[in-house]
Amino acid sequence: MKTKLYTLFLVLTISITGMAQEQKMTASEIAAFKQDVNVVSKKIKTLSTDFIQYKHLDFLSKDIETSGKMIFKEPALLQWQYKKPYNYSIVFKNGKILINDEGKKSAVDIGNSKIFGRINKLIVGSVSGNMFDDKEFAISYFKSKGQNLAKFIPKDAALKKYIKQIELTFDKESTVVQVKLLESSDDYTRIVFKNKVINAKIDDSLFSN
Amino acid sequence: MQKSTTLFFLINCFLAIVLISCGSVTKNYTPKKLDKTSYEVSYFSEPKTDYVYKTNITVYGHEMSGIFIAKKINDTTHRVVFTTEFGNKLFDFEISEKSFKVNSIVSELDKKILINTLKEDFRLLLKKDYLLQEQFENETENIYKSEDGDRDNYLFISKKEKKLEKVVRSSKTKEKITITFTLENDIFAKKVVILHQNIKLKIELNYLKSE
Repeated sequence: MKTKLYTLFLVLTISITGMAQEQKMTASEIAAFKQDVNVVSKKIKTLSTDFIQYKHLDFLSKDIETSGKMIFKEPALLQWQYKKPYNYSIVFKNGKILINDEGKKSAVDIGNSKIFGRINKLIVGSVSGNMFDDKEFAISYFKSKGQNLAKFIPKDAALKKYIKQIELTFDKESTVVQVKLLESSDDYTRIVFKNKVINAKIDDSLFSN
Repeated sequence: MQKSTTLFFLINCFLAIVLISCGSVTKNYTPKKLDKTSYEVSYFSEPKTDYVYKTNITVYGHEMSGIFIAKKINDTTHRVVFTTEFGNKLFDFEISEKSFKVNSIVSELDKKILINTLKEDFRLLLKKDYLLQEQFENETENIYKSEDGDRDNYLFISKKEKKLEKVVRSSKTKEKITITFTLENDIFAKKVVILHQNIKLKIELNYLKSE
């Protein structure tokens, strides 16, 4: 009996917390939110931010933590640079991916890889926040602790094999503060952005490896 | 007569080559009386430890990098996952001495020959218990031979530190896979290199220190 009560209490607590955490937006809230994000992301010409990446695999006792810096410049220059615990940098530029792995350099042409092209678009979209494409994704919108949350389920079968769902968390200024890529219900990659600087001067030459 | 002598000579040469190749793993070592009958490798055996390594794979001149993750999930089985630096899972296996399950693999890597190669590599890498049949030595190392079906595994153990530094998996005639360990301490390898002799494949694991 005691156990049953306890279970009931636990279930109630979880569902109450669950409700408090995420609340579906109304149609008008969605419209206003999308409008805000569009306005902000249109203003973004350059962006630089620190990030911490947490790789969560359900069977591990601890998330795998890596961190570094990301810079972005309109329309599609992107550098993702891991600094800890190893040096690894990846640049998306003119249909190419340039990799520098602890000094070892390589390049991949993504012009002929549809899936890489999509992933590239997706990364740029998730950083700037502007990826509300109903043709590509089934999107749902939530409010949670003063932040907004958009969940994207890919419609493309090839993409869906890699990513089950993408969740973007926006702060009050309508910029992305967290990206969560879900591979399955148990395993995901969570990237938290910190010290974001918008529209500082970033030279094109930085996007080389 | 001339002909048969030549033939005899050729057969002898052939036999000599086979015999030399046979003993290739231990050819510079002296046989010795076996001083133990079993050996336990503890580099991947602690159930509480997440074994996470930054990994470089070189296959026929192509390079690929990512994160190798292994974890003992029960008495017999390890979960082995390989992801990109971004965190995308490339493959996810469950592997024990007798069983093997593919939880997921991206279509680009979903080739039977590749999966079988990785299965053999990881089984050897994660193997904990060896039964020993023969022993050899030189000045610095003891080598133990452990039969494993139609293959033999050779364990190279330093005399000074008494640590396993190398495992060679060999057929009756040829070395196939060599795994070398660089140790952090008695039970943990900070660097592991898996090198294939018959195909151009090298897997290098460097322990990912969390800060």
